[in-house]
Amino acid sequence: MRRPTIAALVVVVGVLLLADFLVVNASLSELAMLAIDAAILVAAGAALAAVAALVLRRSGDLWRRRGDPVGAVLVLGGAAAMLVAGLRPRGAGASDPAVGWLLSALVVPIAATLFGLLFVTTLAAARRSLDGRAGGREASVLVIVAIVSVLFLLPLSGSVGTWLSEAAGWALVIPIGAAFRGLLLGIAILAAVFAARTMLGIGAADE
Amino acid sequence: MPRGSGVPDPAELVTRLVRFVGEILGASSLRFEIGPTLVVLGILLVLLQLVARPVSRWVSSDAGGLTAAGRAMSLAAEAGTDVVVSLGAGGLTRATDALGRLQTLAAMPVLGHVARAAARSGVPLRVLTNDALAGVVAQATLEAGHASTDTLERSGRSRVVVVGEGRPTTAGLVMTARARPAAAFVGGSLREEATLHLEGLRSGAGALVAGSAEPAQVSSILLAGGGSLVGPEPYQAAADLRADVNERTMVMAANRLIVIAVAVLAAGSALALAGLIDPASLVTGIAAE
Repeated sequence: MRRPTIAALVVVVGVLLLADFLVVNASLSELAMLAIDAAILVAAGAALAAVAALVLRRSGDLWRRRGDPVGAVLVLGGAAAMLVAGLRPRGAGASDPAVGWLLSALVVPIAATLFGLLFVTTLAAARRSLDGRAGGREASVLVIVAIVSVLFLLPLSGSVGTWLSEAAGWALVIPIGAAFRGLLLGIAILAAVFAARTMLGIGAADE
Repeated sequence: MPRGSGVPDPAELVTRLVRFVGEILGASSLRFEIGPTLVVLGILLVLLQLVARPVSRWVSSDAGGLTAAGRAMSLAAEAGTDVVVSLGAGGLTRATDALGRLQTLAAMPVLGHVARAAARSGVPLRVLTNDALAGVVAQATLEAGHASTDTLERSGRSRVVVVGEGRPTTAGLVMTARARPAAAFVGGSLREEATLHLEGLRSGAGALVAGSAEPAQVSSILLAGGGSLVGPEPYQAAADLRADVNERTMVMAANRLIVIAVAVLAAGSALALAGLIDPASLVTGIAAE
């Protein structure tokens, strides 16, 4: 984004929303809501246009016999099924039972089946890291700490079990909590900076 | 004001403006107390300073090994294969949280960096995304990469693949795809599917650079091996991409000079406070009386 008018628009809308956040004023609230509604409308329009572009592109792929025909048929068939289920006469739109069935009987089980592989792939990645084939020192430390955490969580009885349970709680609250919160703080600050740089048109260094 | 002209003089205009602003202020009240309001404005000032500050002047690290994109392209050109860039599973208009979608935006500069390297080497790119709008933006980024390197005639070889809705779809595709790229770059939001996604790409690709700002997925990215961008690094990398090694070396040298200068100042101050040296006599050569 290099046009100064867009950057100026972003600054004006940003100042308006900030002022509405800080100051209680009826006129200001109406203006802010107007800006938010306009942004939602633009985003919805862009999403619709993008989906239409996807359907056209896949139809073109099939028509001209290029790309992956099976994928194109699946995309077009899936889009058609969802559209028919949601937009049929006397249907309830996105909350229609047919749409719900498509999601709960097809999409969710397929996704769950895929996620079932997580256990195997995670173990394979951990083994590869311990072998020194990938990940380097950081990954090895990560796997060792994970093994120690598993030991802390062993369901043992007696004083040993109590000590392990307390150690697991301490590890969760102090070192893991500190690292996690540090990550969250860093991510929040740089996400805000990145968002502002994007909106103001400040690009990457190698452009 | 001249009688009958209808044009207010400047003083009257200012008076009306002040009165108008006063009326607006009179009809308003602060949403928070004065303290929290000042805190919010202070945070905003700090953020603005960070935005305006040329971050790339201070950071010399090669986050995620992204400067090696050129080498990956050479290998791809030699092997006659393509390079895969996955934009994660957050998308731009999908029903996910704002931080997830922002990561897709943060992956676009990385895609642009890789696209320019690919365009120079004549290597086709395969961009994977699960959001149609992200696909449109990615296509525009690819074309911009070719335009900036004057290689528009090669732009038809690269393609953007919209893999379908849902987080697991991209992971499923990369696990089942038969085409083996020379290198794979992953940026954007990765959640439960991260390990599947990265393992699928890693097993096929010759080299892997993966990044995601999801705190819970740091382990998946580190375990995948290769270059990694974790925590806030994906946002940092978007601002600090560099194609030129000399520039990075200059930044590194300047940073070291700054560190040395600060160390000398600190050591001198400590010695002066301890009474071991007199800065004035040291500089002017005249002993203090």
